Amino acid sequence: MSLKLLRQGLGGRPPRMWHDRPLKDHYDVVIIGGGAHGLACAYYLAADHGITNVAVIDKSYIGAGGSGRNTAIIRSNYLTPEGVQFYDASVKLYEGLAQELDFNVMFSQRGHLTLAHNDSSVRTMRRRAEVNKLQGVDSRLVYPDELARICPQLDLSDHPRFPIQAALYHPPGGIIRHDAVVWGYARGADQRGVDIHQYTEVTGIDVANGAVTGVRTTRGNVSAGIVLSATAGWASNVAAMVDLPLPLDTFPLQACVTEPLKPILDVVVVSGSLHVYVSQSDRGELVMGASIDPFTSYSVGGSLDFLEGLAGHVLELFPFLSKARILRQWAGLCEMPPDFSPLMGITPVDNFLIDAGWGTYGFKASPICGKTMAELIATRQTPALLRPFRLSRFAEYDQVGEKGAASVGH
Amino acid sequence: MSGRRLPAQTGESLDRGQPLEFRFDGHSYQGFAGDTVASALTAAGVNVVSRSFKYHRPRGLLCCAGHCPNCLVQIGDEPSVRSCKRALEAGMDVQPQNAWPSLDNDLLSLTEAASRFMPVGFYYKTFHRPRLLWPAFEHVLRNAAGLGVIDENTPEGDYDKQYLHADVVVVGGGPAGVSAAVAAVDEGARVLLIDENPELGGHLRYSRPDAVAHARIVDGQQRLLQSGGTILNDTAVVGWYEDHWLSAVRGNRLFKIRAGAVVVASGAFETPSVFAGNDHPGIMLGTAVQRLLHLYGVVPGHRAVVVTANDTGWAVAADLLAAGVNVAAVADERPQLPVGTDIEALQAAGVTLLPGSTIAAARGKSGVEEVTLVAVDGSSGSHVVRCDFVALSTTWVPSAELAYMAGARSCYDDELAEMRLDNLPDGLFLAGRVAGPCSAEQEWLQGARAGAAAAGNTDDLPIAASQDVQATARSSALVAAPDVGGDKRFVCLCEDVTDVDIETAIAEGFDRIELLKRYSTVGMGPCQGRMCGLNGIRLCAQGTGKSVQDTGRTTGRPPVTPVALGVLAGQKMEPVQLSAVHDWHVDQGARMMVAGLWMRPEHYGDAAAEVRAMRQTVGLIDVSPLGKLQLTGPGVAAMLERLYVNNWQDLRRGRVRYGIMCNDEGVVLDDGVCARLSDEQWYVSTTSTGASGALEWMEWWRQSGWGDGVHITDLTETHAAFNLAGPQSRALLQTQTDRDLSNDRFPYMRARRADVAGVPCLLLRIGFTGELGYEIHCPAGYGRYLWQRLIDAGADFGLRPFGVEAQRVLRLEKAHFIVGQDTDALTDPISADAAWAVHLDKDCDFLGRRALTRIATDGPRQRLVGFRTGRRADSLLEGLQIVQSDDRGKPQIIGWVSSCRFSPTLQETIGLCWLPAALAERSEATFHIHVDGRLEPARVHHGPFYDAEGARLRG
Ligand SMILES: Cc1cc2nc3c(=O)[nH]c(=O)nc-3n(C[C@H](O)[C@H](O)[C@H](O)COP(=O)(O)OP(=O)(O)OC[C@H]3O[C@@H](n4cnc5c(N)ncnc54)[C@H](O)[C@@H]3O)c2cc1C
Repeated sequence: MSLKLLRQGLGGRPPRMWHDRPLKDHYDVVIIGGGAHGLACAYYLAADHGITNVAVIDKSYIGAGGSGRNTAIIRSNYLTPEGVQFYDASVKLYEGLAQELDFNVMFSQRGHLTLAHNDSSVRTMRRRAEVNKLQGVDSRLVYPDELARICPQLDLSDHPRFPIQAALYHPPGGIIRHDAVVWGYARGADQRGVDIHQYTEVTGIDVANGAVTGVRTTRGNVSAGIVLSATAGWASNVAAMVDLPLPLDTFPLQACVTEPLKPILDVVVVSGSLHVYVSQSDRGELVMGASIDPFTSYSVGGSLDFLEGLAGHVLELFPFLSKARILRQWAGLCEMPPDFSPLMGITPVDNFLIDAGWGTYGFKASPICGKTMAELIATRQTPALLRPFRLSRFAEYDQVGEKGAASVGH
Repeated sequence: MSGRRLPAQTGESLDRGQPLEFRFDGHSYQGFAGDTVASALTAAGVNVVSRSFKYHRPRGLLCCAGHCPNCLVQIGDEPSVRSCKRALEAGMDVQPQNAWPSLDNDLLSLTEAASRFMPVGFYYKTFHRPRLLWPAFEHVLRNAAGLGVIDENTPEGDYDKQYLHADVVVVGGGPAGVSAAVAAVDEGARVLLIDENPELGGHLRYSRPDAVAHARIVDGQQRLLQSGGTILNDTAVVGWYEDHWLSAVRGNRLFKIRAGAVVVASGAFETPSVFAGNDHPGIMLGTAVQRLLHLYGVVPGHRAVVVTANDTGWAVAADLLAAGVNVAAVADERPQLPVGTDIEALQAAGVTLLPGSTIAAARGKSGVEEVTLVAVDGSSGSHVVRCDFVALSTTWVPSAELAYMAGARSCYDDELAEMRLDNLPDGLFLAGRVAGPCSAEQEWLQGARAGAAAAGNTDDLPIAASQDVQATARSSALVAAPDVGGDKRFVCLCEDVTDVDIETAIAEGFDRIELLKRYSTVGMGPCQGRMCGLNGIRLCAQGTGKSVQDTGRTTGRPPVTPVALGVLAGQKMEPVQLSAVHDWHVDQGARMMVAGLWMRPEHYGDAAAEVRAMRQTVGLIDVSPLGKLQLTGPGVAAMLERLYVNNWQDLRRGRVRYGIMCNDEGVVLDDGVCARLSDEQWYVSTTSTGASGALEWMEWWRQSGWGDGVHITDLTETHAAFNLAGPQSRALLQTQTDRDLSNDRFPYMRARRADVAGVPCLLLRIGFTGELGYEIHCPAGYGRYLWQRLIDAGADFGLRPFGVEAQRVLRLEKAHFIVGQDTDALTDPISADAAWAVHLDKDCDFLGRRALTRIATDGPRQRLVGFRTGRRADSLLEGLQIVQSDDRGKPQIIGWVSSCRFSPTLQETIGLCWLPAALAERSEATFHIHVDGRLEPARVHHGPFYDAEGARLRG
């Protein structure tokens, strides 16, 4: 047992994890968005670079956006070498994050399966496996006999409409307690002097001579040396405050959980063809989701269609789950870039940085984004890992094509 | 017998002539038809039904209304059944959940001893050091968590769905709902009245029998049915989605309901109060006691304490007294005892009546044995009262989940200490208790008003409850009982969250209701906050010094009650597309494969032989899955010009051209051939798996301003298509048609209409496979016949049917790419070696022009190019990576293999791959493919591998 729990159990009062502080007139760095990305960046600014005159500003509570709504799948078995390197660096940070933050984020490397139901997905899975291996990422194509050992619950018969032919198996992949990541970073940042301002909305960004000078918020104006927008689903709205168009479309993405059940599923199972993925959380709920809604929208009301389609597809994979009950459904916003890779780094507006385009897959990248964005801010040099994801790649016809591999791109 | 079953009660739902045997936790019991599992268990003297989530404390019935987690049981292979709502059936095997080895002796209940070291969020603060042990800790945590058990042999079961439409949907069949439904039907509306219980009546079913009110329900029900209204009983409305789209569940059926307007008349429910040991079995809500009493003729014990803050508790106490239960005490939080017949009766019976008092603690082993009643303000001493059950009637919460989902806002009424609703969206009307306390008369009137308004004929003027009603119906304003020490004080029973947990979480910074919920997990369990929602909010308000209103509430999300996956999935209706010749393929022993929604023959046993036969004599493949679109009208050529990278205006009648469709980023979307049959009639084919996408894309642009004078007809499923190819194909086909097929009259890349075997066909002379060949399109109804005729006639020519696998090899020998295999989501036609098809100099703009112009200028970075190996290399597979060693000898990815096969024709392994443009341009350049740590050499090859000049096609 940890010493802290011992102390608390014997009557000690646990310390506050973060504080409400007054909004200062000036911050060296203002980070818009108190999701895992914004908070991670604030944490690494302070922890790695000693930059602490930093504010994280969120219009809602911390983690209210995608960071508190995602299905927490972490993996690095991407398709492009650039993507694999980036996400792999993130997984490595996640592996040590609980210790670094002294907060158990419950990273659970249960293994991750992406199923292939036809020969073209088998081909794509092989392509991914090969790219992964060459980048040193544990990932391989497995066929039904081995699949039956990794996930005996799967219906591997030829009874389903789209029988399973193979899968991409990625042992280091898994799930995490998403809120804990948000809180852990928030606490670490707060302890190091970062101000976290919840329920404070940025309503405008001031620009003079092509450079950002500060932000306007519902609690007053703040001058800022650097402004980073880590606003995920709202990134294009925030960028519009500096007249910067971003190649992003916003779609709702839905998810749901069942009532808590005794352990039934170990690995994370994803099927691109069936647009569905399932994992079981440590609380026992089956966490499930599909691909983005078929149209752009800012509505997070959720739909019945989603539940119906999802249920049908889950039962294709696991017919015996017909009596498990859906407890809750929800939705979040995802801004999708054309190539399904993020947009990170500098912009044509001086001192205005973005960490956006995180679509349906950005939670797994939180640590590495935070770390590399902090490095960019501190050194004013774009780290090599970030370069492929620069905003200018679209104008340069140098996209990072993850789209082909990711019909369900978590 | 425990003596808990009373003589027959007026209005009870039991059929006492029909006893039913069932099992619970290994013991046999008996109940009656009409019982729920829970009422039968209670009658049988069972108090402990489940164990709690975290501390594994024994739990018994609490709400008896399907809200709380306490009565969740496993019935056969069905987990987490709300036993208070599930009708008892003979032979049921009911098991407790989350208890091991048994309900009475649950080992994990020992965790409670360590509970002081397991405060709220303890798992975030431990188990992560040393890092390597976390998986082991996690294993233990996972096994301890979860409630129900999924049986892997559960059959999928039979489920279905039904669509319903109504002008007015009324949710809730109590007096307000029935009244609303009658009023709406009187206004001429199509009305659907939905209630989750087996009969209408709402609270009248379980409150003290009231003949007048009951008669009104019966009468209303008749009027409704006579006027064509519909009543759905046993049906729970579980979701409200945009545009009045409701989901409802009855048994294994999902209803999907489009409502013009909705009257929510779903009533209100009670929630427990916060005091020490408030989770002991036997502590239940007043309405739960009433349900047991009046519906099932059961009393949960023999000595009761009733705690209330309004008049409902007095009715419960008086009913218990009348049923012969010893009522030990009634505590009312209000300073003065109210007046009325109930109280008089209790007084007459000598029951201890304590005004200004409430319950502060309960104690007992496996059920409540005594309680401590104290003055609300802590002023006077306490009473310890022995009892074996407690009825709590202190706090009301409106059943407003649907209204919240629809967008209504909550608004805390400090006076009533209750949530109210405002900001109702259009088309949502409230009636009855959900809108606040009301008298019997008022709820009937309110219902009528709301029903008429929903039917569109009057304005909905809310009927305010009179002052005296409000005064008798007020909820308890106590956030928690005075602290007298002792046992835990639970807020959330699903998750075992206590008031201390809430305070601690707030102190740690989780001081916003949304954060508080996520950290403490209050409200995240099976009841979705129904039991703990208000208490949680009030405790949060108290802990942060904010008002309840400012504290807000967490977003309510569908479904209102959990819904089985089977119900949501319904009948499986996965479409399968089958060609007209499907049965023939199967009869011939073809190995069938999935191709999009189609099933296609992969081969008929020997793909290599199929390849050879086709190259040497003649082959026949069923290509019916090809997308087949007929485009007619004067604007077709102009539209195609914009959608394809090719030229179309100059295509003459009777000619065919290969085309590529790109999106505005210049990415290849689809390809196929287009035939111009007449000036204004075109026949366009698309890839098989891309057919529906291509049609959608074309339609989108057609309807978005580029389709003036264009009509698109999808012939994909109405037409069959076969490709007859090989040196003998002309001779064979000529035996079946009068049309002159000679090369002069019907040359390469031409389209002709012809009768083949008497079937009207469109013939396209094209050659994906690289041989002389004809694509034959005919109405699908003739497909099977025509196919047979060709097969029969082919016997003399050495015809052999071939499948998709042979076709892949054949096209690879010609180095044709396949969209989606050799191209991906970023591939442009220039890089894919199809620059010849791209006409940047077209007169009009076209999709992809800007991007393609740029690529043409800069030159591609990567290029699709052929490769040969000079050997049979079966280890080369599609998807493998092409590498080059960097300075440190580490392999760097420079490309990948997109197609690869052994060619029976060339007797070597060939393929298509992506390489850096500079390398790809060097014919014969050697590069290496990474195979399991080895490097396999291959050489760049330009152009087709077979018949590079295309003589065989044109001959
Ligand atoms: C249902 C769902 C499932 C997902 N599953 C996965 C998954 O399994 N794995 C994975 O890796 N990713 C997943 N994602 C994606 C992932 O959630 C996001 O990419 C990620 O959380 C983005 O984190 P963030 O910190 O950048 O943004 P967010 O967490 O969205 O934070 C942005 C914050 O900005 C704030 N904000 C916006 N505008 C303003 C303003 N004007 N002023 C102040 N504050 C503002 C918002 O309130 C919000 O808190 C999923 C997403 C959803 C919706």
